[in-house]
Amino acid sequence: MSDAPKTTDAPKTDAPKTDAPNTGESPKPIEITDPVEINVDGEQLTVQNGELLIDACERNGTYIPRFCYHPRMNPVGMCRMCLVEVDSGRGPALQPSCMIPVSADMSVDTTSDAVAKVQDGVLEFLLANHPLDCPVCDKGGECPLQDQTYAYGPGESRFVEEKRHYAKPISLSETVYMDRERCILCDRCTRFADEVAGDPLIHFINRGSSTEVNTFPDQPFSSYFSGNTVQICPVGALTAKPFRFKARPWDLTVKESTCTRCSVGCRITVESSRDEVLRYQGVDSDSVNWSWLCDKGRFGFEAYNSPQRLREPLVRDAEGELAPVRWSEALGLAADQIRRAIESRGPASVAVIGGARSTNEGAYAWAKLAKTVIGTDNCDAQLGDGLPAEAVLGLSGLTIDELCAPGGTVLWLGPDPLEELPVLQLRLRHAVINDGVRIVEVGSRVTGLRDLVAQRIAARPGETPGVLRQLFETAPASGDTGLATAAALLREAGDDLRVVVGRPNLAESEDVVLESISVLRSSVPGARFMTALGRANVRGAIEAGLAPGLAPGGVSLSNAAVSDAWSTVPAETGSGSAGILEAAAAGRIDVLVLLGADPISDFPDRSLARRALAATPTVISVAPLLDASAAEARIVLASAAFGEVDGTTTNLEGRVTAVTQKVNPPGTARPDWSIASELAVRIDPAVELGRSAAALAEEMWSLSDAYAELAERPESPSGPEGVLCSAGHALELPATPDVELPAPDSYSLRLVIARKLYDGGTLLAASDSSAGLADDAVALLNPADAAPLGVQNATRVKLTSANGNVTLPARADDSVQRGVVVVHHNLAGADARSLVAAGDTVCDVRAEVA
Amino acid sequence: MGYLDGFKVTLRKWAGVHTDTGRRLTMEYPEEVRPKPERFHGRHVLNRYDDGMEKCIGCELCAGVCPANCIYVRGADNDPDDPTSPGERFGYVYEINYLRCIHCDLCVEACPTEAITESKLFEFAFTDRNDAIYTKAELVVDDDGRPQQLPWENWSGGFDPAADTSGWMRATSPSGNAEFEGLVAWATELGYGTRDAELGQVADVPADEQPETPDEGGH
Repeated sequence: MSDAPKTTDAPKTDAPKTDAPNTGESPKPIEITDPVEINVDGEQLTVQNGELLIDACERNGTYIPRFCYHPRMNPVGMCRMCLVEVDSGRGPALQPSCMIPVSADMSVDTTSDAVAKVQDGVLEFLLANHPLDCPVCDKGGECPLQDQTYAYGPGESRFVEEKRHYAKPISLSETVYMDRERCILCDRCTRFADEVAGDPLIHFINRGSSTEVNTFPDQPFSSYFSGNTVQICPVGALTAKPFRFKARPWDLTVKESTCTRCSVGCRITVESSRDEVLRYQGVDSDSVNWSWLCDKGRFGFEAYNSPQRLREPLVRDAEGELAPVRWSEALGLAADQIRRAIESRGPASVAVIGGARSTNEGAYAWAKLAKTVIGTDNCDAQLGDGLPAEAVLGLSGLTIDELCAPGGTVLWLGPDPLEELPVLQLRLRHAVINDGVRIVEVGSRVTGLRDLVAQRIAARPGETPGVLRQLFETAPASGDTGLATAAALLREAGDDLRVVVGRPNLAESEDVVLESISVLRSSVPGARFMTALGRANVRGAIEAGLAPGLAPGGVSLSNAAVSDAWSTVPAETGSGSAGILEAAAAGRIDVLVLLGADPISDFPDRSLARRALAATPTVISVAPLLDASAAEARIVLASAAFGEVDGTTTNLEGRVTAVTQKVNPPGTARPDWSIASELAVRIDPAVELGRSAAALAEEMWSLSDAYAELAERPESPSGPEGVLCSAGHALELPATPDVELPAPDSYSLRLVIARKLYDGGTLLAASDSSAGLADDAVALLNPADAAPLGVQNATRVKLTSANGNVTLPARADDSVQRGVVVVHHNLAGADARSLVAAGDTVCDVRAEVA
Repeated sequence: MGYLDGFKVTLRKWAGVHTDTGRRLTMEYPEEVRPKPERFHGRHVLNRYDDGMEKCIGCELCAGVCPANCIYVRGADNDPDDPTSPGERFGYVYEINYLRCIHCDLCVEACPTEAITESKLFEFAFTDRNDAIYTKAELVVDDDGRPQQLPWENWSGGFDPAADTSGWMRATSPSGNAEFEGLVAWATELGYGTRDAELGQVADVPADEQPETPDEGGH
């Protein structure tokens, strides 16, 4: 303990307020397993042996100022702001608390004169070159440098010389600006890019007083995670283009919510000013996103602010144009058509596709409308690009934390996590690099896990089950082949195997995935599964009942408990999206409701989707933006989007978290549940579906024991960790179909249709900063396949299958396996789905130079 | 006679204002106008620099400090080839709602660039609530540095820059010089330059020893 007299009036910023969302700057929660006693400012504390002093102090209410330290990244001790006097028995000395692990009987003084002087000095040095342009800086008002200068700074500068000058903001990427004058070289952004994101595209360049953070020449900072550097920058050096000069931080009012751009379910804050959402920030959910977000999620609000948003319902008029009408007219017409369809051809002539964009409450309202009021079981939240509902719910049970638990082995059969579930990729990356998790990947191309896998096994589309059989049954016990290494890793894991399944390829039937699952379940009975489907609330929509044969709460219709809320169930089991679209194309569907779904853009067989929509007399689209399918609809009902509705959403683990309304929907757009509720009354005046989202949620949660915790404490999803539910875990998996692959043909290439983070999706196209990020479609071939065809860079090739052909530029790419051609889904220039027919196991194509 | 005593006051005043006009309190307003106090708070103006650039940088500090919530500001990026204000950012939207404004002058105090100051103009009445919301185009001074006269404003007393520009005082010092803390100064808006600080504001410094007002223009 220092003998220096303590300055009792030493300034001290308050530790972050408990009611403010934790955006990742507070220490992560820990359990004390190895307690030691330390003395901080005269107070005796019990802390975890070996944890960093800065964390131990903050957790016990003593905030030590810092710039470079971030609890989710390795400490570097760059900024020297966290220097405190530490006495470990040899007398007090100034040491950076972010680099010192606590040890027994350590004595710490955070407020001594020496500490105050050093804080003064560090800030004076930082401000020697930091411009005082706070009034125009986007960080001004929430800036750690500004706050700490007021709290710990000298008040006046003795530095009268000219500050250093650089060109004001330079573009690091499509979304991030860099102002080098403001940079204090804390190493946070560069550490994030390198350590967390694995995209070391920004770095310190030059030396001494010319040191600056910049990209490599001609290489933009095109990381999917670049927005996080803006959030963690302790000054205004990195700012986000979509937020640039839009508002000052004190204009913003904040509500915590959950991102619904993919099924990871990252916690975010929704921040708005004057009824317009202007920013999302990541919230530190220890079990999900650790405060990180992907750029698609972070800047997703732009789409909902877009002038293209639907503000009122549209109905096709006499000339065949969609024209705005009043809600009573649109709902009246929709109810009329549904009633007429039920009367003339029975309830099965009405079908509902979609619901995964909705909240659980919206999906439940629509499921109840379809299954009890209308009486049809033709409901599916998936668009032929997922897995059977029984598999999605029945297989699951593995959480992200369990998937990434130290020392485990993961068998990855899912889609490219970097492109479809970006934040899950960050968690996996951390698990592999820091926690010794080993990943075995089986797939037809190299994914974002490229540097992380312990072993990758190449398998052409359709061949994964065969590869798995080899791995578990016939693989050689030793040898240095990839197969042997992978088999050894999997054997070592034994029953503690974590498997991620999904649909990595839209041109490969779900039957192949089901067969892989069945092989795994018989070989490794203890294996636990995570179903990694990209669509945001697909799991919640299925649990709410938007799947053929299922009632809410993940029970099959035949076992559904009949209650007041759920009085009747459809007599016959319906079909999924593929079945619905086939029936529609054959003229057996009279009314097709598209609940935020766009089959023309998303269903793997595009021509079937087009035929189905054309042959259905009444297509009702419930959508926030006019997507390709809504443009073909007869009735378009403008729905409220994310940030405009209250409710809950369920992520791929089955975790239920709250989404919150922050702003009002544009025009007269209204929430999905309210549209369903209105329609129900118009179809049958005796019915009342639900008076509010909260009432619907309570009703749904009362239907299944899986929601016991939610039914007891309906406010619990609003916490950052949400509530993990087990709805549907008891469901029987569907029978394994017989998968027959076409005969091998050495002239054919097998088609992979994979997804990219930035594609031509309706929401992305409506976002200013992201719209330009989608690439054009390219056919990727292995160099060994490309050479005989004579493919140079950008040679146009014609791909022909039994179902059609597309012509597009081709490129040799050694991340693609031999015998495979990869085309990404929904990119400009070519739509590979015209090669695919629904129901085919795999799709073989011939390639020729066009 | 005691009950008539009260009328003496009335009679004396009545006779007084007719014999000595200096004692008269009422005036023939609006033909005659009373001189306004030095720090009278009237409606705002948005100032410009001598080269015509706007001083407002859209920082919203005025809106942030406003206790009546009557100011709405939004910033935007300056076009580097045709900037509206010096630097990166300019006030893209600037509106003051005079149905709410309480003329407390905190906005003037908060402004880091002396962009917003008050004039002594106060005679305006609206027949449309929308007119009460002064937009940036209405608040910004003209090329001569004079406020723009809006149709519903009464300028019958004329506009004298010296008399109709409000003096202002900041909790911090004008022009950033610590020695001038607590002194009244005038904004250096286009066309009017600086004027001497009001003296005698600091109690323990005799008027003749008080520092001179700094005379550099703007920031």
